[in-house]
Amino acid sequence: MVKSIVGTGGFVVVMVLAALIAGTIGGSIERTLVVFFISLIAVLGMGVYSGNSGILSFGHLGFMGLGAYLSGILTMPIAMKQMTLANLPPFLATAHFDLLGATVIAVIFVMVVALVVGIVISKLEGSAATITTLGLLVIVHGIIIGARDFTRGSQSFFGVPRVTDLTVAAICAVLAIIVARFYKDSVFGLKLRASRDDQLAAGAMGVNVRRERLLSWVISAGIVAVAGVLIGHFLGAFSVKKFYFVDTFALLAMLIVGGMATVTGALAGATLITLVTEILRRVEGGIEIFGFQTPQLFGTTQIGIGLIILLAMAKRSDGLFDRLEWDEALLGGWFAKKEKIVGDAPPEHKPVPEGSLQASSITKFFGGLKALDQVSLALANREIVGLIGPNGSGKTTLLNVLSGVLPASEGETLVDSQDVSTMTSHQLAGLGIGRTFQNIRLFSSLSVRQNVAVAALNAWPKVSTIVANEKVDMALEAMGITEFSEVQASTLSYGNQRRVEIARALALEPRFLFLDEPAAGMNREETDSLMDDLKSLCDRFGMGILIVDHDLPLIMRLCERVVVLNEGRVIAEGEPKTVQKDPQVIEAYLGHKGSQQVAEVLSD
Amino acid sequence: MLKMLKLATCAVALLVAGTISSANAGDTLTIGLATGQTGGLAPYDGPAIEGFQIAVDEINGAGGIGGNIMIKMISKDTRSDAAQTSIAAQELLEMGIDILVTPSDADPAFAAAALATDAKVPAFSPAASSPTLPLMGGDFMFANFPGDNVQATVSAEWAYGEGFRNAYILYSPDTQYTTLPLYFSDVWKVLGGTVAGEGTYVMGQQDFSAEVTKIKALNPPVDVIMTAAYEPDFPAFIRQLRSAGVTAQVIGSDGIDSPTTFSLGDAGDGVVFSTAGHALPGSALEEFNNKFKATYGRDADTIFAAIGYDLMKVIEAGVLAAGSTDSVAIRDAVANLENVQGVTSVITYKGTTGMPVRQVSLIRVKGGDRELVAQPSPTASLVPAPRMQ
Repeated sequence: MVKSIVGTGGFVVVMVLAALIAGTIGGSIERTLVVFFISLIAVLGMGVYSGNSGILSFGHLGFMGLGAYLSGILTMPIAMKQMTLANLPPFLATAHFDLLGATVIAVIFVMVVALVVGIVISKLEGSAATITTLGLLVIVHGIIIGARDFTRGSQSFFGVPRVTDLTVAAICAVLAIIVARFYKDSVFGLKLRASRDDQLAAGAMGVNVRRERLLSWVISAGIVAVAGVLIGHFLGAFSVKKFYFVDTFALLAMLIVGGMATVTGALAGATLITLVTEILRRVEGGIEIFGFQTPQLFGTTQIGIGLIILLAMAKRSDGLFDRLEWDEALLGGWFAKKEKIVGDAPPEHKPVPEGSLQASSITKFFGGLKALDQVSLALANREIVGLIGPNGSGKTTLLNVLSGVLPASEGETLVDSQDVSTMTSHQLAGLGIGRTFQNIRLFSSLSVRQNVAVAALNAWPKVSTIVANEKVDMALEAMGITEFSEVQASTLSYGNQRRVEIARALALEPRFLFLDEPAAGMNREETDSLMDDLKSLCDRFGMGILIVDHDLPLIMRLCERVVVLNEGRVIAEGEPKTVQKDPQVIEAYLGHKGSQQVAEVLSD
Repeated sequence: MLKMLKLATCAVALLVAGTISSANAGDTLTIGLATGQTGGLAPYDGPAIEGFQIAVDEINGAGGIGGNIMIKMISKDTRSDAAQTSIAAQELLEMGIDILVTPSDADPAFAAAALATDAKVPAFSPAASSPTLPLMGGDFMFANFPGDNVQATVSAEWAYGEGFRNAYILYSPDTQYTTLPLYFSDVWKVLGGTVAGEGTYVMGQQDFSAEVTKIKALNPPVDVIMTAAYEPDFPAFIRQLRSAGVTAQVIGSDGIDSPTTFSLGDAGDGVVFSTAGHALPGSALEEFNNKFKATYGRDADTIFAAIGYDLMKVIEAGVLAAGSTDSVAIRDAVANLENVQGVTSVITYKGTTGMPVRQVSLIRVKGGDRELVAQPSPTASLVPAPRMQ
């Protein structure tokens, strides 16, 4: 919070200064700054969605166009409308608003449109979503051309009062910066950024990815609509071409060059591209340098922008500012000290309610392959169950089915007596099922604290951010990683990253915790210390733990009960000692010949 | 970081230099050109500004307008886009230009017209032919080309005189200019002809099979087809029309006054179109074309180069009549100009709303070359009133 305020405050000061200086000089500098502010608003809007969700959008210029046309119709003098838009429906033909009123109406309209479109787009992943946004741009373009009575089709739309001045543009840009930064640092922004870094893990930590995407999509459409209103009222005349590929390209260039994940990046990108565009635009008409007239080279501007993108991507593919805000980069340490929550006694985790998780006859097909075959498994509170089996026996698949990452083909899962078979991972997370992943799936660009906070914010019942923060402290402390809380998660050692994963799952206050190879890559001391921690977790909080690992000594010492899978089937279940001697288990691990040797050794 | 600072300083210096160096000096007429040097209007604005440049060089070479007012040009590319035209025009007007030249199509020109009128600076579109442009663009907006309604009247009267009676019109509502056939339709009906059908297209659509099928199915067959389609639509349309076996007379307008039209082979042969002039042997236009070739080393193969030249002649006449470079005085003088001798025509603004009275030439494409059909004057009472469509 403090960070967001300082971060935006810095920008606001710079922008107000720039606006004051430009206002004094006037002329083309002033106009350039107005266009810059409008571009910045658009880029910030696009960044709210693309930056936080990681999905590039080509469609936002469509929202900008809708904003420009609708607000233009609303502010255009009625006499002008009668001449140029003779076929407007009466309620629009006679409507006349000032800029503020028209902006509000246009933004609300665009957000409603975005909501409808977003319901579809938020269901799609990665490039499918991006291509759909491209389709959106083409469709909106087509609709604007088709709606001749409202837009004059592809002809010039003119007669819009030119009321966007430096003050209006600067105020809106400041507002856009505030909204973008505060959204990013909000609970919603944090959850969405988590899903950007790892969608699967975010789902398993209870983030409803679709809903978060939809929210950011609608907010970003609203911001971009403001940019549309302003550009329309700055130009006074425009055509549908203004809201198509050329400008999409220019704005995406700003977004990508600066780094789309941050507000700082949006500002840097908008500044750089605007500067270069303005210079090239002046140079391409031919200028006098020291009495020498340069030739006219029209078209230089687009080539210049293209080259900047190429260069930026080749040198810094995450953009100039990577994934840090300026305040985080410059004042990061200071905030870390300020924000560290002091409290020597973290709140005690209430023991989880009694209950059980019961999976019966789970079968999972991958095409023709039967990965799980009639697997049944029970897990109770205060119980640590080991799940072992050779590679490819279906252990991880079983965890994925139980945690809702994959749907089961057959069979059902009950939590207490509730059937949860059809629930998604984020719903199951809400029910108290936490998990870690075999190959570490942390939210790599977030700090350790933020990683854990994403889960804490999704624990059920919902808690305030203050309580969530306390839970984060508790989870960090339980896993002994409090000292790393402000460190970017991806920079930690392997063993500590595993601990962050467990802390993150703990913050969900899980009743059932699934650990997928938590000791992989750890040395003996680390493994031992982890085991101690797991045992004390189970005692302290009373959750049931299902643990998958190849480290058989660990499993044998930690677990009261062991389930052995082979080729998707349960081949043994029981106390570690018994299972260890089961000939089927030995055969599964060592093959038929090896199992005979072991049997001989054991019988001796 | 230091390097970036230096770069940024240079950049800002360049920006500031760009604005200051353009300040206006005493005996100079500063003309700002915001035209489409790239994009869809480049085939028209490109040659127009080349022709304009020839006139400027001639006048400056002779010591300036009236021997003492030198002409200075500041050029900006509008990328054939309305929004960019608005920005370029604002910049030029802020630099204190005396005259603004806008793109050759009415649609982007509208974006500049309101700005010029607000700034009280006369604005001219080299080749926009929509009569609504000067009418609605304000008192300071002038065109420089025979109006769509005038061209349509000339074409209709000629076609009726040739004995055609059953017409079909093909237009696109995408721009003002491409709706020219609607004027033709008006005149045609007044003359007593029938309009058997109307077809529309989207600019750039390329596939005209639906329209061609519709035309071919008409009974009785149409004997004349009027369209204002231009590149790339017109070549596509005429090829598909002819290969479907439709032989009706096709009439176009100035948009197809380009080299492409003369290189269409059999498909283009016989097409008649209206334009702003024709280089008869010994004419001023022929002389200009020679000058163009001498300057640029290639043929001026459209009328638009000469149109650009004529535009500068109109401005020169306006400045001479005004006796100063005062923008308002120039505007008033231009509005009262009569019989300015251009290379394409004699040009008169007096008594118009900014759409000049000038000659219309009807050209036939014959064997890949131009053939003058007629240079008639339209019957004044038949010319439809300008309207937005």
